[in-house]
Amino acid sequence: MDMKRDYYEDIRLLDSGPQVFWLIALIAALALFPFLAGSYHIYTVNLMAIHVIVALGLNLLVGYTGQISLGHAGFFAIGAYATLALMQNLGLPFLIALPLGGFISAGFGFLLGLPALRLEGPYLAIATLGFGLTITQILGRLDFLGGHMGLQSPALNIFGWTVDSDAGRYAVIMPICLFLAWGLRNLTKTRVGRAFVAIRDSDIAAECIGVNLTYYKTLAFAVSAFYTGIGGGLMAFVLGFISPHTFNIMVSIMFLAMVVVGGLGSVLGSVMGAVLITWLQLELARIGELPYLGPLLTELSKQVFTVSGLPNVQYVVFGLIMVLIIIFEPLGLYGFWIRTKIYWRTWPF
Amino acid sequence: MKKLLVLTLVIAALAVAGAAWAGPVQGVTDTEIKIGQWGPQTGPAALWGAVARGTGVYFDLLNAEGGINGRKIKYFLRDDGYNPNRTKAIAKELWEQEKIWGFACGVGTSPGMAVMPYIIKNNIPWVGMATGSPHWTQPLKKTIFGVYPLYPDEAQILTSYAIDTLGKKKIAFFYQNDDYGKGGLDGCLRELKKRGMKLAADVPVEVGETDLASHVMKLKKAGADAVIMWVYPKHAAIMLGTAAKLGYRPQWMACSTLSDVALMFKITKGLWKGMIFGNFAELPDSTSKLMLKYHRAQQKYAPKERWGVFFYAGFGFVEPMVEGIKRAGKDLSVDNFVKAMETLKDFQGIMGPITYSAERRQGIKQVFLAKCEPDIMMVKGKKITYGKGKRLSDWLKLD
Repeated sequence: MDMKRDYYEDIRLLDSGPQVFWLIALIAALALFPFLAGSYHIYTVNLMAIHVIVALGLNLLVGYTGQISLGHAGFFAIGAYATLALMQNLGLPFLIALPLGGFISAGFGFLLGLPALRLEGPYLAIATLGFGLTITQILGRLDFLGGHMGLQSPALNIFGWTVDSDAGRYAVIMPICLFLAWGLRNLTKTRVGRAFVAIRDSDIAAECIGVNLTYYKTLAFAVSAFYTGIGGGLMAFVLGFISPHTFNIMVSIMFLAMVVVGGLGSVLGSVMGAVLITWLQLELARIGELPYLGPLLTELSKQVFTVSGLPNVQYVVFGLIMVLIIIFEPLGLYGFWIRTKIYWRTWPF
Repeated sequence: MKKLLVLTLVIAALAVAGAAWAGPVQGVTDTEIKIGQWGPQTGPAALWGAVARGTGVYFDLLNAEGGINGRKIKYFLRDDGYNPNRTKAIAKELWEQEKIWGFACGVGTSPGMAVMPYIIKNNIPWVGMATGSPHWTQPLKKTIFGVYPLYPDEAQILTSYAIDTLGKKKIAFFYQNDDYGKGGLDGCLRELKKRGMKLAADVPVEVGETDLASHVMKLKKAGADAVIMWVYPKHAAIMLGTAAKLGYRPQWMACSTLSDVALMFKITKGLWKGMIFGNFAELPDSTSKLMLKYHRAQQKYAPKERWGVFFYAGFGFVEPMVEGIKRAGKDLSVDNFVKAMETLKDFQGIMGPITYSAERRQGIKQVFLAKCEPDIMMVKGKKITYGKGKRLSDWLKLD
């Protein structure tokens, strides 16, 4: 089905005419969205977009380059704190502070990439886990960054326009998200992207054909950290307040879950995973308000689980959904999407 | 003339209709008030989540009694896992989706700080946050009413008790190195400065630390005969254990966040004995009429819950809110509610006397002190020693 006849077919951004059409339709829908939806829904989509940015960055590392990270909450924190600190302490405008924050995060990503050269699998997971935990501990002790009390975000000004509504923040976040998604798709189609994939499939073979492991592995960490740092910088403004608690270990695990549930090594998978998990996190918190099922579950949790009741059910359901996806669709939501597409291809014959 | 009459009548009718309509208040109908709360039911701070469940039982009790002014309370409890970005999502969801009227309590300083700008911007009533940080009420915010006594005030009261009543000469302060611990330290220093005294030692601890031997040595070397603690339960327990091992026995004193005496006695394996601590609410075995009533409600609506201070604090923190709603009467517009709250003067529930005014949003300024004395109870034929608080003072106030 995906017969490629020449090199240019392999490297172009979009594979077919319908893809171009659907992409334009998606952008149009996203542009119309803030005019039709309420503030809370826009806020939800803002969170989704930020998580999409992070999932894209993490997928580059995990899905494309085959390195694992349980410490991306650390980069998320660095991006958020760096952006705010640059704005508050140095008085830089947002549009300069945000990418600078991303680059600072990328610098840390490069540093973390160095030990990663010698570590693999579970050892790398532990090293990155340690990084994520250390960052929040350090941030908690830096008084000029607010210590354990955290920082309030300053007003968000862009060329004299003060962004103080959810729709306004949407207008800032969504273009950045689309741009970064385009950038990642582009990157995976280049020499660099193919080097990443070669390292994932077999790093020894990759080195044999001339891929510089030191360069590309640290580059993968740096780019991944850059994406996550940008996500963090945007998150600081969506929340309006950040503290070391905001970037706990569960955040790192959720990021990894987004990538795995969505589908490793796929841009669309990152998007689907981030959207689904963000939505589940918000919606499952309201499980008690479902008609009939809600009171039933509340009662069940009170009888069977501890006194805190319902949140337990919420986590059981959340875990169950993730486990089911992994068991029945190891490629994640992206694999499910591919199969659906193939199934409908010849419909109705 | 007739035209003029008709016109006057029409205007009058419109005015009456307008007054009767008076703009619907979000989250309130003639039969219902929607109130929300966030609180950690999972995660590292889940122990304090009992506050939010206590509030739920209090509302069950009120609803069974017919509600407030004929309105039943519909209560929304959300778990934020002590994670500020989930708290923010919860606040938005409850206000914009569920259309609640106001927020009650809420555990945690950083979760609260994450939502405070949002609450101020949308003019939402918020009463009784379960933390003694001064950020809520200083400077004053129109719709935000604090209940919990401020940490600096409480530390000052403990310090003066150590000096005046216990006759201690060298006071040391052991605190968590953040806003919470430093708030206590400030109060202690203020009181000592007033008396021209100096702190024997100030020993900070970081949240992640587990080995406190060097901290104990510092206190011991300073020769402190009273040590005031402003830390998490975990650190208090490690501190007492390490000090006992190293043979250091000052008079220990503790902040009201450590006032769950039965729990602390259990996790310190009895070392909590003799501890003098601040209290923001009645002791669990109090026989005041309200406490007995609340205890019966707990046994009826949530029999599996432990009757500890953080559970019934969930009742106490919303008592002033309920009183304010009662006094506001039928019109629950935010302005009217705020006006009603400002009439509370020395209002007493199961906590210290609460006063609000146009210039004051900090409800309680008093604590009382208690001492841990072990007692024996029979559980299924077995003798069990448990920690019990013995009241040492009445509600104490700074002069």
